[in-house]
Order: sequence, then structure tokens, then C-alpha cells
Amino acid sequence: MSILQAIKNKVRSRSIHVSYVDVGSCNGCDIEVLACLAPRYDIEQYGIFVHNNPREADVLIVIGAYTHGWEEKLAPLWEKIPDPKAAIAIGNCPISGCCFDRRGSYVDPPVSKHIPIAAEVPGCPPRPTEILNAILSVRDLVFADWEVKRR
Amino acid sequence: MKRTVDVNIPLGPVHPCFKEPARVKCETKGERVIAAEVELGYMKKGIERIMKGRPWQEVMFLAERVCGICSVIHNMVFIEAMEQISGIAVPPRAAYLRVIVNELDRMQSHLLANFSYCYTIEHETLAMYLLDCREQVMDALERLTGARVTCAYMIPGGVRCDIHAEDQVVLRESLDRIEKELHRYASMFGNGPMIALRSRGVGILTPVAAREAHVVGPTARASGIAEDRRIQHPTYKQLGFTPVVRYDCDNYARIMVRFDELFQSIRLIRACLDGLPKGIIRGGGICKAGEIRYSGEAPRGELTYSIKTDEVGRVVEIQIQTPSIMNIEACCHSMIIGADSIADVTATFVSADPCIACTER
Amino acid sequence: MTASLYWYLREFARIEWVRKFFFARTAPLVTPAHFRGFPEPTGKACQHALFCMMVCPAVGAIDVVHEGDGWKPRIHKGHCIRCGLCVEACPNGVLMSGRVLETMQAQGTALLVSFRISIDRDLCTGCGNCVTACPVNKQIDAQLGAGGHSSNDEVIMRVDDGDVQVLHEEKCTGCKICETSCPTQAIQIARILEGIQQPVEGGGP
Repeated sequence: MSILQAIKNKVRSRSIHVSYVDVGSCNGCDIEVLACLAPRYDIEQYGIFVHNNPREADVLIVIGAYTHGWEEKLAPLWEKIPDPKAAIAIGNCPISGCCFDRRGSYVDPPVSKHIPIAAEVPGCPPRPTEILNAILSVRDLVFADWEVKRR
Repeated sequence: MKRTVDVNIPLGPVHPCFKEPARVKCETKGERVIAAEVELGYMKKGIERIMKGRPWQEVMFLAERVCGICSVIHNMVFIEAMEQISGIAVPPRAAYLRVIVNELDRMQSHLLANFSYCYTIEHETLAMYLLDCREQVMDALERLTGARVTCAYMIPGGVRCDIHAEDQVVLRESLDRIEKELHRYASMFGNGPMIALRSRGVGILTPVAAREAHVVGPTARASGIAEDRRIQHPTYKQLGFTPVVRYDCDNYARIMVRFDELFQSIRLIRACLDGLPKGIIRGGGICKAGEIRYSGEAPRGELTYSIKTDEVGRVVEIQIQTPSIMNIEACCHSMIIGADSIADVTATFVSADPCIACTER
Repeated sequence: MTASLYWYLREFARIEWVRKFFFARTAPLVTPAHFRGFPEPTGKACQHALFCMMVCPAVGAIDVVHEGDGWKPRIHKGHCIRCGLCVEACPNGVLMSGRVLETMQAQGTALLVSFRISIDRDLCTGCGNCVTACPVNKQIDAQLGAGGHSSNDEVIMRVDDGDVQVLHEEKCTGCKICETSCPTQAIQIARILEGIQQPVEGGGP
């Protein structure tokens, strides 16, 4: 691996811009992601910056069980994110549909059917510490040697 | 009348200011907003449909997941409605514990709403202070119920677990600390001249317009309408409850009403802890057939459940009326119209504390 | 302008605030002991009562599998919503989650599970599928006929005069096999949950 690649790996894992999208959740995971911003957990000290602009993001946090309103919107949103990119599913909803995946509901889980998911955090909702631990554990892996892998 | 529209600006569904997907379409002339429309439909999960034909232990968790921010009140209203149907009496200790948990949940919801507003008007310091304060409330909630967001604390005939003796001490200490901090933050918000420039006189909702739009909750109480379902609740009657009202009708009043209600919640929790009766926390009781329409006061306003059950306690028909829909309508029909800039649109929208997950279910 | 400048300086240029700014440390990323996490086995032997599966409000979150020489509850992460109902409903204390188990033992709380069988007479064709499918019926009366006829009075239900009659509702274990075997969805099992408390002597506040 070249030195340039090593520097790229290092920099990418220390500076992650996050965009989150709520595709039909109950808000529980939403506010737990928001709680990661709190001074208690302080997600920004790890170099993770949360803002909601897909065009600047590296990581897309997906929350919710994929309702029909997002059918024409989630995939274009995913394509707008520049490479290298990764999606993390937070909570039970994007993984399995949680309580909502029953006969008669309007959800279509899992989200991995629609966009590729790199990591999943189970829990309904997961604690902010679990979300942080998950993001911290994947940040060295998802973008490592991206140029090498692409070739 | 012919209207000249310069630009039609859509905000959302993915927008830095909105935590949830909603689209606000603003017709603008220059910077001035002359009409607004809210487009929903990104979160419809059909919860009421999947609730049908299920017993309370499943519907209770679905009801909690109608809204993750105010999950306790959904739990409480559903369980109390089932108790009214079945004639189950709640032990007095359990009733007091319910009020404690409900008020803690209201506190975290109001703190989150005020955080969102401060974050939207870019006063990030105060926003982070409030979010840190919210973490302390969440700690208290977690200590009592075992979970941060979806507590699942109330069941027909009582509550899941009793409050431990050492937790009472911890809760009182953290309440003292939270109150001290909140006094500082409320005065920061109340006296900050920059905040006043962004908040006072912005997003006016007159009492007449508020009544026309059937606005509920803090949004109504900031427009001088003293309506609060907690007045009718038996446990709150025992504790002595009077709603908080302000008459300024603007963004500033809506946030200050929430600050005032935070102090009121702290008072109520203290009163509950002081007068906590001894005894059991679960009375037992089986759900029966019946039909009821029951309301409670969610952090965002009046929440109504219409439930019909069959003879074994399964929910046959259920309708949920959540508070946010009226507030959102009032927001786009009265509050946003005439806003001087697009920046005020997001601030006004957030000041009404819209909860899209509640609204669409 | 001067007033606001003064006000902001007074608010943010305090020694306490500056000290916090430079020396604040993040709380360690730990989960407190009282958090209701995913249910974990306590080590007690599972008696295959299956109450955990019956009260579980989530879809496919828990199942009980045969492992080695005994039964073992298995939690599926990604489905489990960490409500703790399975911990409370288990009569043998096989699972634990946060403080739920010790709190309910200290306070004497429990969840009682009972079952009601309701049959829609308009839909029932009297085929007897439910009677023969029922595992409890098979145990009680090994001679159970294919049409659901039985001469034994101890069975849960049997077909009499072309209609299913429920005799012993209290023996039902709530497995819902009859529901799945019914061609017309005429039979339904209601799982009824009741929260009760028997105060422990000397325990509790």
C-alpha cells in the first residue's frame, strides 16, 4: 500500500460527514442520533460532523422501516452522495421492520433491499453509546483502501 | 386576485433543520412568504391498521411507537383508556408513579423542542446546554423505567416496576440540579437580545386564528388559550394543577411556555415524590369489552384514543388523534404567512414542535 | 449593542466555562447496569413453558430451540425491542435483562398468562382439524378420531353434533396450532395477560 493511500485512510477515518434520513420510523432512533450531538456523547470530538446534506456526506444514517413515500426518493438520495460512501442502518426498523412489519402495514423492510447497508445497529432504539460505538468501529473499515478496492 | 410569485421554494423532505421528513412549499415574493403548504406522507406506516385484532400487550408497544419522542403519554392514554373500558382501578402509588414518569417524559420532549428551536435560529451554545440538560432527564427516566425512549412503563392495573428508595434520592438531586440549570437557560433565552430579534413578533398566531385552527398544547397556550387535558385527570387534580398561559402569540412565547412548563413539571414531580402513597403498584385486572374515547395531554397537545374492544380484550377498532396535525395546519395557514424571510419559516415551523411521526403514524 | 456584548461576555467568559472548554472530558461510553438490555440467560434450566414467545410484542424476536439436552431461549437481535416482557412472563426466571428480574423478585410482581378460545359459529364447519391438530388433545386422548370425535371428557375441545365444543379452556397452552390449521379462521386463541403483585414479606418500600 502506498503512503498516499495510508494517509487517505487515516484522514478519511478521522473526518466523517454524516447525513441522516428518516424513512418512516417512530422518531425514537431519530432523537437518539440527535442525542449523540449532546455534550455528554459529543460526536464531533471524533471528527464526525452531522448535517443533513447528502451531497457533502460520507456516511448515510438510515432510520426507519422504508415506507412507500420513499420509493422514488431513497435511491436517488443514495446516488447523490459522492464516493466513497457507506450507509448505516440504525435501529430495528431498517433491519427487520420492528413491530411494524405485519400484515396490513405500509412498510417494506429491510432497507438493504433498496440500498446497500454497510453496518447495522440493533435495538429499539439503540442507546447513543451503541450508535457511537458502531460508527467508531466501522469508520476505520468502510473507507479503508477504497481506491485499491475499486480497481 | 392575481398574485405575483417570484420563487416557489420547497424545504425538505431531507433538510438540515427538519429532523423528520416533511416538505414545506413556500411561495415567496422577494424574501417575503405569501403562502405556504405542508406536504406530508413520507412516514405513513399504517399503525392503526396493524393494531386491530391484537391484545393490549402488543398494541401497547405499537402505541408507544406512534411517536418516539412522547412515547410515555401514548402508553398512558392507551392503558388508561383500556382501564376505563374494563373498570380496572389503579393503586394510588401506581397513579403517582405514572405522573412522575409522564412529567419526566414531558420535560425531555420540551427540552428537545427548545433545543431544536435554538439550533434552528443558530444559537448553538444554548441548544447544546439544553441538550445536555435533556441527558440528565433521560438518565432519571432510565433509572426509573429501565429504558431511555420506549419505556413501556404502564400496564393495565398499575406500572411495571416500583421506584427504588435510592433512586428517589438520586431523582431529587438531579431535579435540583436541572432546575438550577434551567433557570439560567430560561433567563438566557428570555433576556438574550439576539434571540429576541429572531423570536419576538415572528410567527404570530392570534387567539382567533388559533381557535379557528383548533390549535392544541403549548402552541395554543402561547396564544392565550388556557386548555390542558391534565386539568381533568384525577391524579393531577389531587396535585393541584393550573395550566401555563402566555399572551404574546409569537415564537418567543411558545418557547417560554415550554420553559415554564418544565418548571411546572419539576414542581409536579416533587409533589408526587413528597406525597407518594405506600402500597402495591399492580392491582391486576383483565381487559373486557367496551368502547371509549379518552384524551390526555401529550407534550404537544391533546391526544385522543377512540378504542373498541371485544370480550377478550382485543382491540377491534382504534382511532388515534394526535396533536401535531392541527399545529402544522395552523403553522402553514397563519404563522408562516407574512414571514419576513425564509429563515423565519424554518424557525416558526420548528417552534410549533411538529412531530411528523405522530401525525402520519 | 454594548448591552448585548456585555451580556454575552458575562455569560461565556466566565472562568468556569473557560475551564470546561479546555479540560472537559467525555463520559466513557458505558451502559449503566439498570438499562434494560437484550435478555440474557441466567443459567436456570428452561422448562419449555414458551410464555416468552407468547407475550413477545415484536415479530420473530424470540424462539425456544432444542440445544444439547435441554431447551434454550434464543433472542434475535434486530427484532428484539428490549421491552423485558419475556423476563417478566417467564415462570422459571430463565432470562434476565437489566434490573427487571431482581426488581420483580423483590417487589413480588408477575405477569399471569391465560388463554381463551373463541369460535365463530358462523364460520366453523365442524371439520375437526383444530381438535386433531391440538398437541394437548393428542396427549390426553390418543384415540382421537380424524373427524375430531372423542369419547374422552378431558380433552380441550371436540366435535359434537357437527360443531366444535370447548370443554376445558384452562388446559390450553396457547400454541395457536389450531388457528393455523383452521381452513376458515373460525377459531381464535386470545392470550390474556394480567399484571399482578403479591407483596413480599418485609420487602419493598
